[in-house]
Amino acid sequence: MDLSKLSPKQLLEIDACTRCGDCLRFCPVYSQRTEEAINPRGKIQAMKKFLRGQYGLWARVFGKKKLDEAELEKFSEMAYRCTLCGECSVQCPVSIDSRSLWLAFKEMLVELGHYPKNLGVMKKNVLAKYNISGDSNSSRTDWLDRFENLPPHRYQKDQAEVVYFVGCVSAYFPMAHKVPQSFLQILERSWVDFTLLGGEEWCCGFPLIGAGFKREIEGFIRHNIEGVKAKGARTVVFSCPSCYHTWQEHYHTDLNLFDSTQFVLNLIQKGKIRFQEERIKVTYHDPCDLGRQSGIYDAPRKILQSIPGVELVELAHHGEQSKCCGGGGLLEMVDPELSISLAREKIKEIEATGTNMVISACQQCTRTIQSTARRMKVPLKVMYITEFVLKHMQ
Amino acid sequence: MDKHLIFYAMFIPSMILFFWGMWFRVSLYLRGTLKGSEETTQWGKLIILLGRGWQGFWKRPLWYLKIVITDVIFHKKLFRESFYRWLTHSLLVVGFVATFVVDMIKGFTTGYLVEWSHSIPLFSFAHVFKTGSIRPFLDFFLEFFSFLILIGCILAMIRRFFIRPDQLRTEEEDIVTLVFILYMVASGFFIEGYRIAHPEVAASRVYMADFTPASANNWISFFGYFLSLFLKNITINPHFLWYGHVIPCLVWFVYIPHSKLLHIFTSSVTVIADRANQKPHAM
Repeated sequence: MDLSKLSPKQLLEIDACTRCGDCLRFCPVYSQRTEEAINPRGKIQAMKKFLRGQYGLWARVFGKKKLDEAELEKFSEMAYRCTLCGECSVQCPVSIDSRSLWLAFKEMLVELGHYPKNLGVMKKNVLAKYNISGDSNSSRTDWLDRFENLPPHRYQKDQAEVVYFVGCVSAYFPMAHKVPQSFLQILERSWVDFTLLGGEEWCCGFPLIGAGFKREIEGFIRHNIEGVKAKGARTVVFSCPSCYHTWQEHYHTDLNLFDSTQFVLNLIQKGKIRFQEERIKVTYHDPCDLGRQSGIYDAPRKILQSIPGVELVELAHHGEQSKCCGGGGLLEMVDPELSISLAREKIKEIEATGTNMVISACQQCTRTIQSTARRMKVPLKVMYITEFVLKHMQ
Repeated sequence: MDKHLIFYAMFIPSMILFFWGMWFRVSLYLRGTLKGSEETTQWGKLIILLGRGWQGFWKRPLWYLKIVITDVIFHKKLFRESFYRWLTHSLLVVGFVATFVVDMIKGFTTGYLVEWSHSIPLFSFAHVFKTGSIRPFLDFFLEFFSFLILIGCILAMIRRFFIRPDQLRTEEEDIVTLVFILYMVASGFFIEGYRIAHPEVAASRVYMADFTPASANNWISFFGYFLSLFLKNITINPHFLWYGHVIPCLVWFVYIPHSKLLHIFTSSVTVIADRANQKPHAM
């Protein structure tokens, strides 16, 4: 087993786990499938066992134990059934950065050839077509076709101050098209000098990282940064929290990066956006990649509070304690049933607030919650925050 | 044979094994990839990491000290989670750390400094630690902090073996760890009680320390003194008691790097690293 995918700190973290089991109470996956091996403690202990067999005292004296393929298969099955929500990292009493550990474990599993086959297909698509859908990358802006009287440049100008990085899900999944459509209208009505990268926008790399193919993302990083710089832009704005987080974490760029909520709040504070009143009660779901991973909790709430008449009712688990909707970490691709069962829990939590409208700031969360609510026949309105903002703009 | 000689003949190899065990663990960590220093040797990585830690510490030393006290020793995060667990953990950590510190002070002053004061008069102040006004405090605090370990250990055992929260899975290692701690503290108090109950034991220098001050033999050493009330009529070979306490303590040291007790060091690092890298709320 090659340890190069792990950092010294991560190897130390594996030893730091005291098996206290606090993570069990918070892991959304474990709440649905109560198998010890699927929870954070179980995964760390499994890795510890592999390490002991390969690098323990016994292994040093008598030689490395051969890796058991069945055990690896089981470990892979468990490791890939994770939403990467990162709640275990937040709740861990000894502050193990477990989310990073899961990503590193997946990289190790990829090296060993133990990963779900459909993720291999996804990887091929991304590497060949530069997006997760497998469609041509030139159709990235098909969602613009809804608009009449499009300008000739189709919002793909040669130069602009701001680049709006749309992301694969919003670009290719019709259920999420409202996200870029609404955000684009906000940008336009607020006189922001922006452009899209169109077919030159490549996947940010998050699906590759999440699946354990991190080493493939370098080309994507280079291409996207060059694309933004070619437009003369200094600012990139994202409506996908996973893209935003990936840029923040892996791109190491001097560009100014904003999530759509930060950007919209800034426009509100500058007086470029004004609202009309509506008496309405809503709740807000914190996306994992925006909240726990990027530390953005206040901006979406401030936006909602700035709309007259809007009453924000918090979910039982909100902010840092927010529960994953089930749409994260490629779980939907690996185990759709499990993903849906998490979404069902989320919907129950939303219903408990007494509101029938949930706002989120992630296209994947809105898509997951909406499709599950339909399946459950729950009359729940799910909106991406820019849709809600646009609806209330004067 | 002189007890000091016997002790050091056991202590030095134990410490060598302890440090070898620690290096065994650390050398595994150093097999990981250190970003930007991928080709560096294990020693090179260690130097880089220690250098980073050193520089980081001196950028805000008071902040780091605060984190060590509030988040490592007094485990703030655990306090928010469960008072019972926090109390147990704090009693054990504070007990061990403080016992170690007081014992070091006592051993160094009453042993070495007093000895050296015969040739270097500057160290003659150390006599107050041995027989003077400071000695009762040393005896009391050593007793008190060891007692905290005992209470902490009992609370941990009650939780693990009787309360049994769903999240807890008890493995062999957990039992060994708790029994080890309980045995060390209990045997320590037992030989103290036995020594108080049988003054001739201290007089014949079965033990290494000097137990002539009254505070080592009265209610200041409260728990040992309490036990001594029941041990007056019991006769056991005091050497056997001494070995029965010292050898397991040394074995425990050697065991630390290979057990869950290693988290004493590893968890301290993860907690400090987490606080140092904590992201502020973006907005």
